[in-house]
Amino acid sequence: MEETYEFTKEDLDEIEAIKAKFPEVMPATLPTLWVAQRRFGHVEPPVQRLVAETLGLPESHVHGVATFYTQYYKERKGKYVLDVCTTTSCQLCGGYKMLHYLEDKLGIKAGETTEDGLFSIQSVECLGACGYAPMMQITNDVYVNNLTEEKLDKVIDSLKDGKMPEFESVGMPLLENINNK
Amino acid sequence: MPEIFIDGKRYEFEEGEDRGLLQFILDNGKEVPFFCYHPSMSAPANCRQCYVKVGTPVKNRETGEYELDENGEREIRWFPKMQTSCTTQMQDGMVVHTQETSEEVARAQKDTMELILINHPLDCPICDQAGECPLQIQTYKYGPEGSRFEVKKQHKPKRIQLGPRVTLDAERCINCTRCVRFTDEISESHQLTIVARGDKNYPMAAPGREFDDPYSMNTVDICPVGALTSTDFRFKARVWEMNQTPSIDITNGKGTNIDLWTRDNLVMRITPRFNGEVNDHWMPDAGRDAYQRFNENRLSRPAIKLDGDNQSKTSWNNAIETFAETLESHGPEDVLVVGSPHASVEENYALMKVFNLWGVNNFKFAPHIEEGTGDGFLITDDQAPNTSGVKLLGYEESNDLASEVKNTKIVIMLSDELIDRGVLSKDDLKGKFSILLSTNECDTAKTADLVIPVTCIAEHAASYVNVEGRIQRSFPAKETKYTNRSLDLEMNQGRLDRFGTNFDNWVTEENKVDCAPAWEIMNQLANRMGLDVSFGRGREIMEEIAGSNPAFENVSYERMDNEMGINLNPSNKQEATA
Amino acid sequence: MASDWKSFEPVLIPDIPNLDKIDNYIKNGGYKALEKVVKENGWTPEKVVNEVKEANIRGRGGAGFNAGLKWSFMPKPDGGPRYLACNGDESEPGTFKDRKIFEYNPHLFIEGALIAAYAMQITTIYVYIRGEYYSWIKMMEKALQDARDKGFIGKNLFGTDFSVEFEVTGGAGAYICGEETSMLESLEGKRGYPRVKPPFPAQKGLWGRPTTINNIETLANVPGVINNGANWFKNIGAENHPGPVLYGISGHVNRPGVYELPSGVPVMDLINEVAQGVRGGKKLKALIPGGSSTPVLRADQLDGVSMDADSLREAGSMMGTAGMMVMDEDTDMVDVLWRISHFYHHESCGQCTPCREGTGWLEKILLKIKNGEGEIRDLDLLLDLTTQMEGRTICALADAAAWPVRHTINRFRDEFEARCKKSVHAVA
Repeated sequence: MEETYEFTKEDLDEIEAIKAKFPEVMPATLPTLWVAQRRFGHVEPPVQRLVAETLGLPESHVHGVATFYTQYYKERKGKYVLDVCTTTSCQLCGGYKMLHYLEDKLGIKAGETTEDGLFSIQSVECLGACGYAPMMQITNDVYVNNLTEEKLDKVIDSLKDGKMPEFESVGMPLLENINNK
Repeated sequence: MPEIFIDGKRYEFEEGEDRGLLQFILDNGKEVPFFCYHPSMSAPANCRQCYVKVGTPVKNRETGEYELDENGEREIRWFPKMQTSCTTQMQDGMVVHTQETSEEVARAQKDTMELILINHPLDCPICDQAGECPLQIQTYKYGPEGSRFEVKKQHKPKRIQLGPRVTLDAERCINCTRCVRFTDEISESHQLTIVARGDKNYPMAAPGREFDDPYSMNTVDICPVGALTSTDFRFKARVWEMNQTPSIDITNGKGTNIDLWTRDNLVMRITPRFNGEVNDHWMPDAGRDAYQRFNENRLSRPAIKLDGDNQSKTSWNNAIETFAETLESHGPEDVLVVGSPHASVEENYALMKVFNLWGVNNFKFAPHIEEGTGDGFLITDDQAPNTSGVKLLGYEESNDLASEVKNTKIVIMLSDELIDRGVLSKDDLKGKFSILLSTNECDTAKTADLVIPVTCIAEHAASYVNVEGRIQRSFPAKETKYTNRSLDLEMNQGRLDRFGTNFDNWVTEENKVDCAPAWEIMNQLANRMGLDVSFGRGREIMEEIAGSNPAFENVSYERMDNEMGINLNPSNKQEATA
Repeated sequence: MASDWKSFEPVLIPDIPNLDKIDNYIKNGGYKALEKVVKENGWTPEKVVNEVKEANIRGRGGAGFNAGLKWSFMPKPDGGPRYLACNGDESEPGTFKDRKIFEYNPHLFIEGALIAAYAMQITTIYVYIRGEYYSWIKMMEKALQDARDKGFIGKNLFGTDFSVEFEVTGGAGAYICGEETSMLESLEGKRGYPRVKPPFPAQKGLWGRPTTINNIETLANVPGVINNGANWFKNIGAENHPGPVLYGISGHVNRPGVYELPSGVPVMDLINEVAQGVRGGKKLKALIPGGSSTPVLRADQLDGVSMDADSLREAGSMMGTAGMMVMDEDTDMVDVLWRISHFYHHESCGQCTPCREGTGWLEKILLKIKNGEGEIRDLDLLLDLTTQMEGRTICALADAAAWPVRHTINRFRDEFEARCKKSVHAVA
């Protein structure tokens, strides 16, 4: 039996608000897929179908869009998806080392999910945090910057306790320091 | 008139021309290779194959005159990059170099071709598309001699049943998006999309959904590689083994222009043939199944009911004799002739003429309309190809054929499965002598007292008038027991024949049906009954009709062939003569 | 001029705490420029366009095109909708600057976009932010709501006829959506396939209507130009590429980060002084100056080079997004190039042939070389492929994939050759 999915009243309100931003319905495709993924944790085919039905758009269109963009989970992932950036600046600063440390620690390879369904690891492309390399993003949400093995240990422990790390604001380095130099 | 110079030759084009440069080049009989472009759909310029070098003349800003170089030639400002000709709009004075006159262009086309081929499986020997494959043909003409690709190819799904009629090999796909654009822009079913990204791309239906668009098989026709193939036709015949013969779709009233592909006197497949006035490049899937009717369950040799309801085969002589004797034992007033919207103009005409001469004046036909089945595109409510034609000949439309039958003794029916489609019941024909001239086994044929097999559209040259009043004609594509394709000049020959050899790829003389054109049967009947009638071939019959029936004035096979059909509507006729 | 960068006072992200709070932004002179152009009769839309054109704000998204000139390509209003699409996709590796504006000075960008909307008589502004920037999308939503609440967005601004809507929308993971027409497709809810040009967005953009696309940092420069005049802007930094620039410095430096400085700062000053030198006291080996598609420069090519379009072109590279990636002497250039090629292969949208097929081929050959299985002829094949890709596609992604390959091999050829297998065939 295929699971059935339904949007809640709040979801539908949010989708209406999204639709109101645009002169047509189609532009609501990406944001509605986001609403769905946040609600159900993935956009497997039945969820894609729900999005298509809700928006009155062809299922093939929603499928084409869902498969084009990498952040949509076309299959189920762990509760926490650890997206470790390995693109150039992170590569230079040890992104792969952090990735492999995580792989060893959790006993899975990039692209896999732990048996308890808690963690997935992905090696991802540049997340736009090059100055704070190596870094990772957790489940399309917060960035964890300047990773070290110790920092990863802490983050994993806190996630196991169900606590997402706080948003980490990385300030603009002040120029006075330079001027005073 | 604005001018354009292509490979050094001057051409003129209309002001405000909306054709792109590529189409203009093709229309002028020249060639530039391409894959994604299709004249009936938007141009995404994604294959990057139709590159040409383009420049425009430099004009003096003050005088507006062309600047000339030291040789007195117009100074040309070349576009910094080569342009895809499919999306290039023509401008007055434009200068174009194709691969014929520019090394740079030839090189660019070869470069693109090399890239298209790196992930393409080179499986032409087992690919249905081989022999009619734009990728294969253009690789021979414009591609690199070898490949420098020594790393692993990208693997993708193979043998995917996209829908009931279309099979996908995603590895062969070159992502031209013609199929996706077809479902978005032509059939508007929006059933296909490209999935994934980059070199993992391929076309797909939504998960768990079938690509069951009633026009789905057009994507097979326009696929420039062997990625989309016909599930039915897959692996049945190589392209070069078949003869290709122009014909008309008989499964509805649109008169979609088609090609019949035959081998060994079997129709192997049906594909659409371009006619901008009727069906453009397309046809409904339903029309493609008709080939089975041409091959299977054919009535072959006449049959007659001798004792009770048991039919048995009989000779042609006996069939004609029985036909004549039955008529002669009654009078013309006892006869009802039922013409057929499923049969051609010529067949209906021949019947009417012979029986009219003998004195019959009761000519009816039952339209075959199924309300609501039409889609406003290429599928009509009318289920028959020649309703307009049979009307124009003077057959009277009857919506209650059963009562007509009641008041008569002999019912002569032409190619119409009246019982099968519920117009008549078996009981209606009880106590009558029923004669059927038809093509296929059916309940109507089983019920008839005399069954005479006639040629189907794949076996004769004859005309059909579509719902819009356009008359178009067929060509014989397969032989009957009594015809020979080497002698019949109307018949197409295989590919090798066309190139002058004495043989083609047909390997058997089997599969010939023992049937004859309805007009030849009428010739024999008239001859036996002493009537002064002699029909020639379809071409001559049409000349006769054109000379006697004002609705068909000036109609001829020659005109139909040259003009891809003729519109018989009076309003159009006036336009044509004006 | 380039040397007085030390005394430069930041204008895009000044050192004022809590500027993201709208009241604080207003208190510090915010939304004054918008009020001025909308309310004052002298500031016709044309005048705003001309002032911005005169200032020569070169697009900070990578292409470096004069923003005012771009604005002037918009056709005359016909009563129908017109759009401004703000490009916050920021996905070129090495680039992480626009998020600083979203976080620290969102209203400067909003004000700039509103001024642009006034200048081009735009009816709706969209800001498209990459999906990974979820936190920053939330910040922008908040900032836009604040601006709406204060009456800077909506109908009849400042009691005039000028009305404009402003919405934020997010991507979902696709580098290509930073390409402006691909971003339009994504905004329209489709797969991010770049569009064939012409028609250009100014003629046929969002939903077939006139549309201008500007980078976030580009628009954030607009209020300054209106407040202080084009000449003020032109006098900041390099002559042909003026104005403040958000430099993103990453890689092997002691103090990576985003720095706001004038354009044209000497590259070595940025590395050695601003970012406080190469990590661990190592020697500098190479620099990618403006995001991973810009050609890499060897340390010996950097003498006297400054961060502006002209100087970088002379040196053999490009300004791009000013996302500088610094590499020390231990860096394996084969590894770096393979990873860059992997990125473009992963991000190719797959629409057109040379990029879809070429990016994968490049990566596969580089992987072979990286694994010690390449041959010298593979290097020449790589160089050949770059010419088969460059300039042959709908958008510039193929160029972006080709340039690093060509220039990294040419500039570090010995390193690549050393990784290749020696020929197995005896030479005569």
